Amino acid sequence: MEETRWSVRVTAPPQGPTRAYARAHSFEGGAPLSFDVEHPQVTALEYLLGAVGLEIAGGVRLIARKRRVTIDDVEVLVHGRLGNPLLFLRVVGEEGDPGLEAIEVKAYISSLADEERVAGVWSEVLAICPVISTLRKAAALHLTYQQVL
Amino acid sequence: MTTPITLGAVLYDPKVSVIWDIICAFFEDRGVPMDPIYFTNYERQVDALVAGMIDVAWNSPLAWLDAQRRTGGACRAIAMRDTDRDRKSHIVVRKESGIERAADLRGKTVAVGASDSPQATLIPLEHLRRQGLTGGVDFEVRRFDVLVGKHGDHIGGERDALAALKSGAAAASTVLDLNWQSWNQDGTIEADELAILSTTGTFDHCVFAVRSDFARDQRWLEALFSMSYENPVHREMMDMEGLKAWVPGRTTGFELLTAAVEHQRFFG
Repeated sequence: MEETRWSVRVTAPPQGPTRAYARAHSFEGGAPLSFDVEHPQVTALEYLLGAVGLEIAGGVRLIARKRRVTIDDVEVLVHGRLGNPLLFLRVVGEEGDPGLEAIEVKAYISSLADEERVAGVWSEVLAICPVISTLRKAAALHLTYQQVL
Repeated sequence: MTTPITLGAVLYDPKVSVIWDIICAFFEDRGVPMDPIYFTNYERQVDALVAGMIDVAWNSPLAWLDAQRRTGGACRAIAMRDTDRDRKSHIVVRKESGIERAADLRGKTVAVGASDSPQATLIPLEHLRRQGLTGGVDFEVRRFDVLVGKHGDHIGGERDALAALKSGAAAASTVLDLNWQSWNQDGTIEADELAILSTTGTFDHCVFAVRSDFARDQRWLEALFSMSYENPVHREMMDMEGLKAWVPGRTTGFELLTAAVEHQRFFG
């Protein structure tokens, strides 16, 4: 099988935000992470958490369509906790790991379909999605969903 | 290119770095570049100041005393917040406790903050000692050691001590005057719940400290003192740091703490 690769090109000009280019699309980014709620761009860490949410929300839509399960709406909340955020600030004397220690995902799936069928969609999404699958190996993932009417 | 001044600061919360980022940008705009170096505790920061690895240290009052102790008095306190001057701490009790004077604490438990908190532990214990009550002898001291090494910057210990008082686990607790005010305003302390039993003498808090041989502080101080609360841009930054004006550093406000560390043998 021919290897399939996905590529994103990222530039960081002297002024202004960084920008990522993916196929015919692009999006801008800010610092790797920021503790300032007024930071002007989405940070790399937030993009990563966003990727988790996008994968789940989009995955639920995709699988539900394939299984002919009617889904009205999907909303996903993603919270990430770093091992030791002070390491990013290079605080002298701090120890530990600057990476994501835990990611908590709560999806709200609005559907009148049988609970069993929605549960099947959820399980299938978690089984096939590459971002979730990758992060499972790196951090503690807590993935839950709630079916709402 | 002007060599940046390196400034040391202890971080108890990563969000505090945002304030320093803003302050550094302010200095940069005035042609006085400054690089912050963060430390996990004051001991390491004083190590760095004494070793000449940083130029300026934003020192807690205890770190100021430590730096003076370790350099034989060869540091200067060059600036502080207006709100660092003439602080007080209160010994507070439950109103219905029947405790009316400090002597009534004999045989009881007093909840204090972290062991290295000047405002919530060291100075209040010195205050009680001066009233004839020695901690561990005349009353039990219950410490709430939250983030030791940060000298009580993190108010968690003080807040836990207050909770012990409210729950009845302690007969009294210690609280900095500014926290007493804000906790009464935000409802942490309910009206008619607690009363001030006794108040310490005044003491000074944080200072920007340099070694005596540091010679590049003049422009840095000019920039610092140019910060004006009347300027809306500056005001936001000053509100975050809890001041209305930067004022020259002074060393006359550490008498209580000096006595406290001596009597409590804090530095061994």
